[in-house]
Amino acid sequence: MRPAPPEWCTVRRPQLHWEDAEVGQDLPHISFDITPRRLFLQVSGSQDWYPAHFDAAFARKAGHPDVFMNTGFVQAALVRVITDWMGDEGFLRRLYFEMRRQQRPGDTMACRGRVAAKYEADGEGCVDLEVWAENPREGVTTPGQATVILPRRGG
Amino acid sequence: MAGAYDIEAVRRKYIGFETAKARGRFPVEYDPIRRHCHMVDDNNPLFLDAGYAKTTPHGAVLCPPSGWLALYFASLGPWPAVFEPLFPVVPAPGKRIVNMSQEVQWSRRIKVGDYLSVRRRIADVYQKGISIDPEAVWIVAEAIIENQRDEVVCVIRNTMLTHRTPEEVAAAQTSDAPGAA
Repeated sequence: MRPAPPEWCTVRRPQLHWEDAEVGQDLPHISFDITPRRLFLQVSGSQDWYPAHFDAAFARKAGHPDVFMNTGFVQAALVRVITDWMGDEGFLRRLYFEMRRQQRPGDTMACRGRVAAKYEADGEGCVDLEVWAENPREGVTTPGQATVILPRRGG
Repeated sequence: MAGAYDIEAVRRKYIGFETAKARGRFPVEYDPIRRHCHMVDDNNPLFLDAGYAKTTPHGAVLCPPSGWLALYFASLGPWPAVFEPLFPVVPAPGKRIVNMSQEVQWSRRIKVGDYLSVRRRIADVYQKGISIDPEAVWIVAEAIIENQRDEVVCVIRNTMLTHRTPEEVAAAQTSDAPGAA
């Protein structure tokens, strides 16, 4: 019996099994207000020092309306949606995403996912996901797809 | 500059170009993972708590499956970087960069204590204008990340746009105009 996670963790769901996944099922979503604090967390967490992500004058000179959140941040958020859902024994096989539109200061960025397909391949239980980031200003900013391997019940 | 840039010459010279294998200066460490998780309020104990992680089938803290973080540990993150980003290697009219898409294919999990290395390859270079720069250049690059056992951990395919600022575009158009000095 595995010990309970530390108190500071959000409650982890019991391990998800391939048999539990259903096409159309929504993954729990997460959201972030893009505040100055989140901008700094982005630079700290990604160690991406390209100024378009924190220096408004630099971003505007390049033709952008403002600074925008970087690939490392958006990817981390999409990965969190997936890893929160798939549990400790899930395996992210593939993630593809497109940075089509920007998340900027003042936006509220939400990341969501949905089960798109479920199948077996090479004896593994595979689940394809649609994942995306969105905000009220732009709609979907970052469409993506992922494939996850989930453990089999009793396997 | 506008007339001097020869995309076909750049394609001939750089498509297929591969960097030597570079090894990260440090092993996969707790604190960069902690900062990465903090960025998106991720408090997954598998990434943050060694005691908890030891009780899982993995036996150790895992690195979240982010291609960005894998590249960080493989060379590009810790100061000083082992080498610079690919972008300056491929000539382009503009110096401004936007990542457009990324695909990461994972083969193995990454654990704290692993050593990662990377080889990078230019898969494609092409010119396709965008609203602010008719001479924007797109670079598709692959990064193959391996662990200390020379096992491929993941392959990252990144499409990056490089462009000029509106001021640079306007200046180039002025200098290209008939009668310009």
